[in-house]
Amino acid sequence: MFFDPHQRATVEAAMARIIPTDDAPGAREAGTIDFLDRYLSGLDHVYAKPDGSGFEKLEGKRADAWRQRLDIIRDKYAHGIADLDRRSRDRFGSDFATLEPAQQDTVLSELDRPTTLPEAETVAGFAPVETPLQQASVEIDLDFFPLLALHTRQGFYADPIYGGNRDRVGWDVIGFPGPTSLAEVHSGRYTALPYFAEQEVGHGAQAEA
Amino acid sequence: MAPKRKPDRVDACIIGAGASGAAAAKVLTEAGVQVVVLERGPWRTRETFGGDELANVNRYNLWPDPLLNPRTVRSSADEEPRVELFCPVPQMVGGGTVHWQGWLPRFTENDFRPRTVIGDLPGATLADWPIGYTDLEPYYDKVEWAFGVSGAAGANAFESPRSRGYPCPPMPMSRYAQKFHAGCAALGYNSFPTPQAALSQPYNGRPPTVISAFAQQHGDPTGTRSSALNVFVPDAVATGRCDLRPDSYVREITVDERGRARSAVYADGDGDLIEQEADVFILACGAVETARLMLLSRSARFPNGLANGNDLVGRNVTWHEYSAAVGLFNDSIYAWAGGGYVSASSFQFYEHDDNRGFASGGHVACAGVGIPLPINWGLPDRPLWGAEAKRMDREYFNHSMAVAMVVHDMPQHDNRVDLDEKVTDAWGLPAARITVQPHPNDIAMGRWLIDRNAEILEAAGAHKVYRVYIDRITGNCSHQHGTTRMGNDPETSVVDRSCRAHEVDNLFVVDGAPFPTATGANPTLTIMANAWRVADHIAKGRPG
Repeated sequence: MFFDPHQRATVEAAMARIIPTDDAPGAREAGTIDFLDRYLSGLDHVYAKPDGSGFEKLEGKRADAWRQRLDIIRDKYAHGIADLDRRSRDRFGSDFATLEPAQQDTVLSELDRPTTLPEAETVAGFAPVETPLQQASVEIDLDFFPLLALHTRQGFYADPIYGGNRDRVGWDVIGFPGPTSLAEVHSGRYTALPYFAEQEVGHGAQAEA
Repeated sequence: MAPKRKPDRVDACIIGAGASGAAAAKVLTEAGVQVVVLERGPWRTRETFGGDELANVNRYNLWPDPLLNPRTVRSSADEEPRVELFCPVPQMVGGGTVHWQGWLPRFTENDFRPRTVIGDLPGATLADWPIGYTDLEPYYDKVEWAFGVSGAAGANAFESPRSRGYPCPPMPMSRYAQKFHAGCAALGYNSFPTPQAALSQPYNGRPPTVISAFAQQHGDPTGTRSSALNVFVPDAVATGRCDLRPDSYVREITVDERGRARSAVYADGDGDLIEQEADVFILACGAVETARLMLLSRSARFPNGLANGNDLVGRNVTWHEYSAAVGLFNDSIYAWAGGGYVSASSFQFYEHDDNRGFASGGHVACAGVGIPLPINWGLPDRPLWGAEAKRMDREYFNHSMAVAMVVHDMPQHDNRVDLDEKVTDAWGLPAARITVQPHPNDIAMGRWLIDRNAEILEAAGAHKVYRVYIDRITGNCSHQHGTTRMGNDPETSVVDRSCRAHEVDNLFVVDGAPFPTATGANPTLTIMANAWRVADHIAKGRPG
């Protein structure tokens, strides 16, 4: 794992404000912090094997690129977390993780302004509505807070094999009947046909394999 | 260790095993030609593909990794280029067809004579094509029947004459397609099921395509979609005459003393340089990489790049910027089902109409929003974080859809691909540098089409509609054309009507690069049909 206990508590607290818990589960219940900590831990969890049997072993240039990318992202987290605490102490006299949720929201709101990228590009990083045919993620170009918001979203909605979306709670919250496992898609058993026009199905119902 | 043996000279060497290269390989090998195909990326099989949004969409599992394959972009020659993943296409056997949804409309007769139909458009380099629809019609038919395209002949009221129908009936009706048809019907517009590279029924010994949610931007673990990887490559390999070498990155095409193409020099998977000689060379790298390879291939005979005596290689590039109107509905429409692109289309606004105040038009069709799976789904006004963002995810994920278009962007002399002066890729070669500025016509067309798309959504009963206009060209569509424009006049074009370089008579280009204009429709069917036509011509013209 990458984070020390304080960093982990800080990021987990921020994630819980990004996808808050209400009458439905949020980032905390989905375990998005586990998703992120595992991602940052090294090259062993970048790509799940498509049949769900484990993770790919990266080699050669591909591994070089991911090592470089993870170094950049880790650096953004280390500095970003320190910045969160500095802002929290300046404004409320205490580290971010110990603030009240409303105070945390105040601190995060200050960060919710792009500094290095035009706003449109920052938005496209995690709400790519206008770019459906495009590679959507611009991870290493993002500032700390948009990056954290992107990773929270990924940890909430990615396949559970990556450590988040625990018990598929992210998918259940929005009514996405995702596959029971990567193996179900890999084998061709997963079908979305019940959600086509010919057949009536209830909202959020599970696709039958 | 002994140096590797130089491989034997072959009849034809194809660079790139994507849509066009694989099509050419199939046609040539089936005609008895010995072919070597050099593909820079891996040869992945269906066992390596899966339903993983994070890996496939967000982590470059199929997309080129920009840290290894950077491109740079600027809006004019005065500007410092910035590194950006501009107009990427998967670099592997099968190319973009590995992860496409495969919308395969044909172009129309007028697409081949835009200069005649539109006239002079200031700032644009509109040109009629040296071939017409009737030259390609037999090859459209061949590709459609090789793939088993699912569609309905005659359903598109604006399509040009076809020699026969589609081999398979349309794909099942998605709920978002149903909304689109309803909206068009209410407004009196013609609409039709989007012809698709998928099987609605068993065909040629292949089972019907699995209707998954992981299709657009995902590889196909079932092998049931129609693609260069699943159809053309196996056909070519079955002849025994196709030597397909993955992980073979061509860095230069060399020329002999007469200025004919002599060999392709490539780095193999070990990084060793290998020289492959052939009678004929066929470039099929995609319009950006084909231009880049030609510009990298400098010699005493061609100091500005291969076949580039007139400085046109890389110019007149076009991109098809993608955008959409997005609608919210009260009922569930599940616009992720089938990958979000088992769709309906209209050519109602496709043909040029002087009364609109801009030139040409485009294909519009419905789709999911975003990719459109949970991570990458979104709405224009969803906040970055917090309770409101979560509320919008919950309330609209199953209730949103897009009506989308690609801009038929106008070719311009100064919009170009050349070589970056500073940035290199992970193999030490200069990155492709993109210089692109939208033509005012592009912006006007985008705005007008998005407005029509919004009206279709409203007519279909959407309770809220967003209009996402374009204001620049970001290369978000992975369509690319024009960098070696085709024409009869060697002064104003790079290749002739047979897609043979004017300056190098054994060099051909078969990807989108020869297209003089982008047209308003998805290009890959026409790219494959044209590759088939050119390969046919090469096979027939071969001595002996």
